[in-house]
Amino acid sequence: MIKVENLTQVYKSGKGIFDVSFNVNEGEVFGYLGPNGAGKTTTIRNLMGFTNASKGNAFIDSKECRQNSANLQNVIGYLPGEMNMLDYMTGMEFLKFMGDMRNLKDTTRRDKLIKRFDLDASGKIKKMSKGMKQKIGIIVAFMHDPKVYILDEPTSGLDPLMQNVFMDIIKEEKQRGKTILMSSHIFEEVQKVCDRVGIIKDGRIVTVQDIAELNSVNTKTFVITLGKAKDVKTIVDSDFDTQNIDDYTVKISASYPFNHFYSMLSKCDVKSLDVENVTLENMFMKYYESEES
Amino acid sequence: MNKTLFKSNIKSNWGVFAFIVGMLMIYVSTSISMFDPESADAMDAMFAMLPEGMIKAFGFISLGTDLTTYLAGYLYGFILIVFPIIYTIIVANNLVARHVDRGSMAYLLATPNTRVRVGTTQAVYLVGSIAALMIIVTSALVGMSEAMFAGHLEIGKFLVLNLVTLLVLITVAGISFLASCIFSDAKLSLAFGAGIPIAFVMFKMVADLSEKVEFFKYFSLYTLLDTDKILNDSSYVLTISLILVVASVVLYSLGVSIFNKKSLAI
Repeated sequence: MIKVENLTQVYKSGKGIFDVSFNVNEGEVFGYLGPNGAGKTTTIRNLMGFTNASKGNAFIDSKECRQNSANLQNVIGYLPGEMNMLDYMTGMEFLKFMGDMRNLKDTTRRDKLIKRFDLDASGKIKKMSKGMKQKIGIIVAFMHDPKVYILDEPTSGLDPLMQNVFMDIIKEEKQRGKTILMSSHIFEEVQKVCDRVGIIKDGRIVTVQDIAELNSVNTKTFVITLGKAKDVKTIVDSDFDTQNIDDYTVKISASYPFNHFYSMLSKCDVKSLDVENVTLENMFMKYYESEES
Repeated sequence: MNKTLFKSNIKSNWGVFAFIVGMLMIYVSTSISMFDPESADAMDAMFAMLPEGMIKAFGFISLGTDLTTYLAGYLYGFILIVFPIIYTIIVANNLVARHVDRGSMAYLLATPNTRVRVGTTQAVYLVGSIAALMIIVTSALVGMSEAMFAGHLEIGKFLVLNLVTLLVLITVAGISFLASCIFSDAKLSLAFGAGIPIAFVMFKMVADLSEKVEFFKYFSLYTLLDTDKILNDSSYVLTISLILVVASVVLYSLGVSIFNKKSLAI
């Protein structure tokens, strides 16, 4: 559904994106992960047909994005990374304005979303908080029930409750067979809803991973705090892959079957045990740190 | 053309529009009320005492004895150039460059409207609102003249003068619009979109000052607004109208085309 081929866009500063290629299949949720300035928004601008790429192509629904940008907006729901709306309008005026710009007659979906996000859209946008603007931006992207969603950091500015509402909506849209590309720098949300994730660094895609595969990796990392120094020694001296964090805290990696791991722990005075369930973050950090050295 | 966008332009720019119309109304009404068919000769005599250069610099070139030439001399040399241009400078910048600079253009283009359609709507709004401005001013002038000095105004000639003035304003606004389409930075757009029209005013003022620096008139579009010739020479009117229409079409379509082709960091 979304296809990016050797997309290159170099800015005057020398920054940009270089030979970015990936596909998002129909009905798939694709996470686009990278720190600020890595090139996520630049890629999205090309998908929206805003910018002229130096090289390469982007396609949505088999149509080239720059040439068919207006036409493609019929099937795209877009949430920009920056909430720069027509801020002299009230929230409701802006929602109506965007609906009219699309010739959208049916407003039931819009009104349902307003309710779901518990949004009071009567105030001037100029006076709204970032979170409120973000809600309006999300409603604009979702109100015409598009086939493809392009969402640039969709949860930024939302409180945890609203982040959950948003995640639920994403899951529903996925169920309905929609194609979603969402950029983010939050691992958790990407890991929760995405099927695949592409990691971008300094304008280059460093890896594209299947989340299901990532989650099924059966090596787990535990952070254990112990009561006695003797127990710390027992663990460090064991066959497991370990790492001392401080005098009484140890990081240990174990994999299935866990029997041996548990029997060792049963002999120790364990004060606390946490599972580090951040495989995506670990992977992300791995790619980022490797380049820094 | 997109009606929704057009309406939102009215909403976001009506304040500037109302302010400029208000200012012009003050000048329009005072200029008519100051006209006295009996003492027009006395006014001329008074102006004769002032240095010629100073009178010319402010565009009060020939305050005729009849109402038509009096208004032409009093308003169309300076006031009806400067105030509408303030309006077009601000609005032309708002219509494109500001949306791009602030990023709100992303929302406009995230709808199924081509850039050509968005650009054309903005151009039509700019031209249409200048026309509305001139229609209001002209109607007020004709209405007040008829009410206070019935039969004194040569309405036909006066309407031609206003039409040519409108064409000049539309053309100059076309330069600001082009700048607004070229530059993604609103500051740069304003620098050129305001700088060139203001330079035109300056050059015209300098050129009128003395014959030694008269050549400055070739650097100003306002030189075409020669009220004497417009009121009396119909072939001149026809020629410059044609030039202005062609120049406008070129400026606005070039603006829309550049906006359509450029890379937007929004």
